[in-house]
Amino acid sequence: MAGKNISSTKVVEQEIIDLALAKAIADGDIVNFRFLFLPYSPLREDSTEDIESIKYSYLLPTEEEEQSSLFQSALELVSRKDIREHIQKELHKKGPTQLSSDLLLALADNAVRHEKFTSASQAYELLRIRHRMQELFFAQGEKELEKGNILDAVRAYRIASALEYDYSAFPEPLPAVPRYHDQALILHAEYKTVWNECIGNLPIENFLKSAFNYLFLLPEHASRITNKPIEVQIPFLVELIHLIDPEWKQFVQCVNQVIPLMHDLYQELKSRAERIADGRLWEDEWDEGLNTEKYVAISEQLLGRKLNQKDWWAYLKELAYEHPPSALFVARQMIGKEQEIIIPRYNFDNPIMMQLNLPVLPTIK
Amino acid sequence: MDDEDVYINYFTVLGLDENCKTGDVRKNYKKMMKDLILEIHSTEVTPDRLDQYLLTMAKLNAGFYILRDENRRNAYVEHRKKVIRLEKEWREKGEQDASSPEADQLRREYDRVLRDFLTKYMEELVLEAGRDKECVETSNWDAHHERHASRVLRHYRQKLYSQIHERLPYYDVTRPHIDWSEREQTVEQILHGGKV
Repeated sequence: MAGKNISSTKVVEQEIIDLALAKAIADGDIVNFRFLFLPYSPLREDSTEDIESIKYSYLLPTEEEEQSSLFQSALELVSRKDIREHIQKELHKKGPTQLSSDLLLALADNAVRHEKFTSASQAYELLRIRHRMQELFFAQGEKELEKGNILDAVRAYRIASALEYDYSAFPEPLPAVPRYHDQALILHAEYKTVWNECIGNLPIENFLKSAFNYLFLLPEHASRITNKPIEVQIPFLVELIHLIDPEWKQFVQCVNQVIPLMHDLYQELKSRAERIADGRLWEDEWDEGLNTEKYVAISEQLLGRKLNQKDWWAYLKELAYEHPPSALFVARQMIGKEQEIIIPRYNFDNPIMMQLNLPVLPTIK
Repeated sequence: MDDEDVYINYFTVLGLDENCKTGDVRKNYKKMMKDLILEIHSTEVTPDRLDQYLLTMAKLNAGFYILRDENRRNAYVEHRKKVIRLEKEWREKGEQDASSPEADQLRREYDRVLRDFLTKYMEELVLEAGRDKECVETSNWDAHHERHASRVLRHYRQKLYSQIHERLPYYDVTRPHIDWSEREQTVEQILHGGKV
């Protein structure tokens, strides 16, 4: 029996092409957008993939999505005569595709609107305007600061910083992403033996510098704000923390919960220090009989759950992932020769603490 | 920066012309390195400046290491000329039809040679120069420098690659016509429009 002829002509309607492209643009989705032009794209007539099959339903808009203004303007754009001709040419061409810069620009802007910053930076980078767009957002941030609109200024700075590209990525440069769970470990790499050297206890200027350097992707971005007067930096930091961590309240609640345990721990450590001073306890045995299990609960309560790994860094890593700014308000604390925990530590004289609704903490002094 | 200087010109780095003698290479290298070390000692070294100083020192070492040896110097000059030639050829082909298979093949060839060039002359030989006896003696380069330099050089290499590409014709995207006043308005609108 002769084989079935599979070379029957496939037709992809223009309307479907428009809808799929408009959806990718409205969503600010560069992955789907590029996929639609690949050699095996379901939009190509020489591809065996079918855009109307269920597996590609994610490429087409829902009825609700079709009503959105972003989708409508994207649809208008893809329906423009010159753009439509270009799309058709590219979808019929063998070889490398040349994407339409008009579509890419609209996609990049929408990606910023949706806070899909890696997608936005990739699109701006392809258009070779990423750096200049960053500068525009920084400049807008400056304008907002001058007008006293702290929230908009913070948003502008954050967008500008998030459009950063990591040129040292391997093998190709990639959008840079904040990795607070790693950065927090670097921030606390050194055990602070001096109370006032803990990040939260630093003098306000130093605290602000550490905070902005940690929260922004690059020191160059942080220095744009650390150059400003402290009166500007403080509200800026408060807004930035709320923007980066919308669940900040949850962390504050956890800090409140651990206060009684912190109090017990500090009392215990203080009494041991006194006994060492009196010669009633050997310095080498300072942790003998200390109920470490009880105090590991400080890390657990701070994070809001128990981890199998009891080490301080495991808790800090997860805490910084869930509440990135939290790393600025905690410190490492030894509760035994081989056991450390993370514990809230900050100076309440710093006005930022009150503005962030953080409670007054017990001290060890 | 001269258009061709984006392809690391070690003659320019050492303030020399292409016909210079080995003696000139050594003389300029020692003087420039001495000046740099003096500058480092008299300035507050912030993290930004640290990277910049490290990069300048690495480039001076590499320039000296490559240009003082005839074989290395010739190989470097040839490789550099080849990248520049391929860029020119691709540009000419691209002007006729940027998306033709021939232009695409030339672009890939150019890209491969360029990456090899940057890897070799902006990373491998730079690190190798840091282990050269004479460079170590003059610059006090040590394992600590090398560890930091690996990161700085990789970053610089990719940035350079990106800078080179920004000068080239658009090939994966149609040439955008950007109206910067419209961009300013868009930025403002995005900001005040809030998250969708």
